[in-house]
Amino acid sequence: MDQESRFKRGLIKVGSFLHERILMSVWRFFKQLVLGIYNFFKRLFLGIVNFFPKIYHAIKEEPKAALKGISSFLLPGLGQVRNKQWYKALPIFLVFFIFILIEIFTSNYIYAISGEIQEFPAAAGEPFYFFRDYGGFFTKGIWGLFTLGKLVLGDTYRGETIVIFDKIFTWKSADNSQVLLGEGTIAISLLLLLGATWYFAIKDAFQSHIDIRETGEVEDYKTFIRRVWDDFFAYIIIIPAVILIVFFTLIPFLFSFLVAFTSWTGRVSIGEQLFSWQGLETFKLVFANPDWLKFFGDVLWWTIFYAFMSSVTVYVLGLIQALIIESKYVVFKRFFRVMLIIPWAIPALISLMLFRNVFADNFGLMNQILYEADMTDTVREFLRGISIFGKPLVGQASNGNVLWLTSPDNGLLAKSIIIIVNLWIGYPYFMMLTTGVLGTIPASLYEAADIDGATDTQKFRYITFPWVLRATAPVIITTFTFNFNNFGAIYFLSGGGPGYPTEAIPQSVRVLGAAPGQTDILISWIYKLTFQSTVNQYNLASVYSILIFIFIGLVAVYNLSKLKSFWEEE
Amino acid sequence: MTVKERINRFFRRLTVKKVIIGVLVYGWLGLMLVIVFTPVLWMISASFTDATQLSQVPVIPKFSEWSIVNYKELFTEKSTNTQAFSDYIQAFLTTLMIAVTNTILVVSLSSLVGFAFSRYRFKGKKRVLLTMMGLQMFPSFMGMLALFMFFRQFGLLNNPFALTLIYVAGSIPYNTFIVRGFMRNIPKSLDEAAAIDGATNLQVLIRIIIPLAVPIMGFIAVNAFMQPWLDYILPSVIMPQRDTVAIWLFRFMDPLGHEYDPIKFMTGALFLAVPIMLVQIYMQKYLVYGLTQGAEKG
Repeated sequence: MDQESRFKRGLIKVGSFLHERILMSVWRFFKQLVLGIYNFFKRLFLGIVNFFPKIYHAIKEEPKAALKGISSFLLPGLGQVRNKQWYKALPIFLVFFIFILIEIFTSNYIYAISGEIQEFPAAAGEPFYFFRDYGGFFTKGIWGLFTLGKLVLGDTYRGETIVIFDKIFTWKSADNSQVLLGEGTIAISLLLLLGATWYFAIKDAFQSHIDIRETGEVEDYKTFIRRVWDDFFAYIIIIPAVILIVFFTLIPFLFSFLVAFTSWTGRVSIGEQLFSWQGLETFKLVFANPDWLKFFGDVLWWTIFYAFMSSVTVYVLGLIQALIIESKYVVFKRFFRVMLIIPWAIPALISLMLFRNVFADNFGLMNQILYEADMTDTVREFLRGISIFGKPLVGQASNGNVLWLTSPDNGLLAKSIIIIVNLWIGYPYFMMLTTGVLGTIPASLYEAADIDGATDTQKFRYITFPWVLRATAPVIITTFTFNFNNFGAIYFLSGGGPGYPTEAIPQSVRVLGAAPGQTDILISWIYKLTFQSTVNQYNLASVYSILIFIFIGLVAVYNLSKLKSFWEEE
Repeated sequence: MTVKERINRFFRRLTVKKVIIGVLVYGWLGLMLVIVFTPVLWMISASFTDATQLSQVPVIPKFSEWSIVNYKELFTEKSTNTQAFSDYIQAFLTTLMIAVTNTILVVSLSSLVGFAFSRYRFKGKKRVLLTMMGLQMFPSFMGMLALFMFFRQFGLLNNPFALTLIYVAGSIPYNTFIVRGFMRNIPKSLDEAAAIDGATNLQVLIRIIIPLAVPIMGFIAVNAFMQPWLDYILPSVIMPQRDTVAIWLFRFMDPLGHEYDPIKFMTGALFLAVPIMLVQIYMQKYLVYGLTQGAEKG
């Protein structure tokens, strides 16, 4: 076979591999995803449409059971009492009761009743917010979530002036949109929980009636508790974890999600100003404003490039390293194995911080080595000579040192260093992984190959390499998603710097001080947008968070869809 | 075989190809060793000098001029006179407290959840798993703004225990998958046999599954214990007035910060890194095992 056709055949092989394995699976995945979303909405729609007819039929066919359901609708637990199942009624009622207690004890209803409204009446034509003034945690929470507050410092309300905080007449205190949004989010989430309990109470009252009629006996509480403990054991043991996740992950996440639709930025001063719902304004800013879009594009491109490069480089070096150490040419395998995993054993945080000092402008290790070797000028001029996009790789440092991470003209050097440092930190993990996988290759494969008279190269090519590749390749995707959000690698190493030259930052972005650095990835930019006290662009940060959420979510679900073990789960 | 014979045999079998490969391989490994150890040695030598600036730290360590003055400073320097320990030790103890609580909570909760997901069928299981899978992919700091607001609202800022709860909630999803993957491989016949002998669900978990799942628990425990030492973002937001070790370190490490003190940073970092390194290398078998498990089982 001549060289050319061989090349062509190889090309076809690669092409069909790409097509079969990657394109097709991505296509199938998106098809499934769209179908899944479609089915979800279809079911939701049908559920809503069929809801009332279903209830109508239930009442018509099982009037007595329905009556008990209605009892539980009026007062959660009442239906259970009427079923003579007090052990069910008690916890249901208790949940209901606790919600009512919370509402009452956090409210000022008592003052409303005792005539305060008559004492401070709202002027004619002036609005009066009952729930704002007297509502408890839930009612005020919902009021706050919808309005995000109405009154600020100095407003006249019910004949009085609003102050920052009034201890006695709490309604004279100015509204704080942040607090209202936060409490509203919590209130809504808790109310959903109450709704679920309520729904369960109604359904259970209805169903239990039918069950009792059919079996002819009411389960006594001992058998009930034993049955619940056995049948619902799985639920019971996951409850603590679920509660933690709901409060510390889901609700905060919901809050951040909501912030994206508000006008909340750091310039909203508490008590004096409010923020409001503004729909998709911030999304519009991100996507329709060319200045912001350009920065977003730059940062996103670098994020993806960084995540891709850092995953692939560590994978390749780790693989090579493991194959070399485990090859027959190396005698002190154990020694090299332990020595070369040192970067893994050092906490990444410390390594990253250390490397920031290694590449520091003044007397960092790199510059010191160059100085001692009398190479500073050579290296600097060499780097300056490499001009990319018309800009030299390194700018001028005052004392002649090389500006590794802070050269403002071109962030490319800093970017390369980030990837190299990441390689230093990350390769041992893949080295260990590959070493571990090498140990799992069955010896029988090699024995069979020996019998067939295979050479070492053939054994490596047809047994070792495919085996290792198949076992470790999926980890690349996980590493990719990890690196995509690898805040530390950027923040501790370069801090996002070097910044863009001032003239490259458009006016609208400069005013907010919100421009990313040249090595900022999305997540580190979001951190700056949120927590840097001079920026505090909360809504903007939330929009970017949502975008990351969608992107990473797709990758994660795609990754998941390929795991057979998951879908076989019943 | 005598040594002489061995040497003779070695040279007889030596071919040009072997020599070239040997030089390349050992050359490469040697280069890697240099690259790996240069920054580490620099850190060590910096922490053992009496230098106050990076420029005074020699590139090649001079063992004759070592001093432990930096370590003395580390253990004695206090920002206020009322505190019992030095700033560093204080930060260290705070982190230790968080780490221990975190380990206990994470191990107990994830083993329960993992057990539920590996052994029972229940309604909504797939949905919960899917949610967890999704959550595992998102860094906990996406909800950090909210956590900061909530904690401020409820007076929980600077409270290490509240911080721990965030860690626990954040790490449960990932650990669940790992534990579930491991427990699925424990034969179900064991539980069934125990159930026939009259063991309850809880007894099956405690007497049979947990003892068999020790390796994976070890993995989770080490990870949970490590987490607070190396986390910067969350404590920087949630505990603005109380240092963990990571925050203490960060303060002195940033060349652009006004408290920049690289020598102090390297001393503190080294003191922290050594025990962690020892644990990592000692537990390497478990850790790698857990990592590959996690990789394969998702």
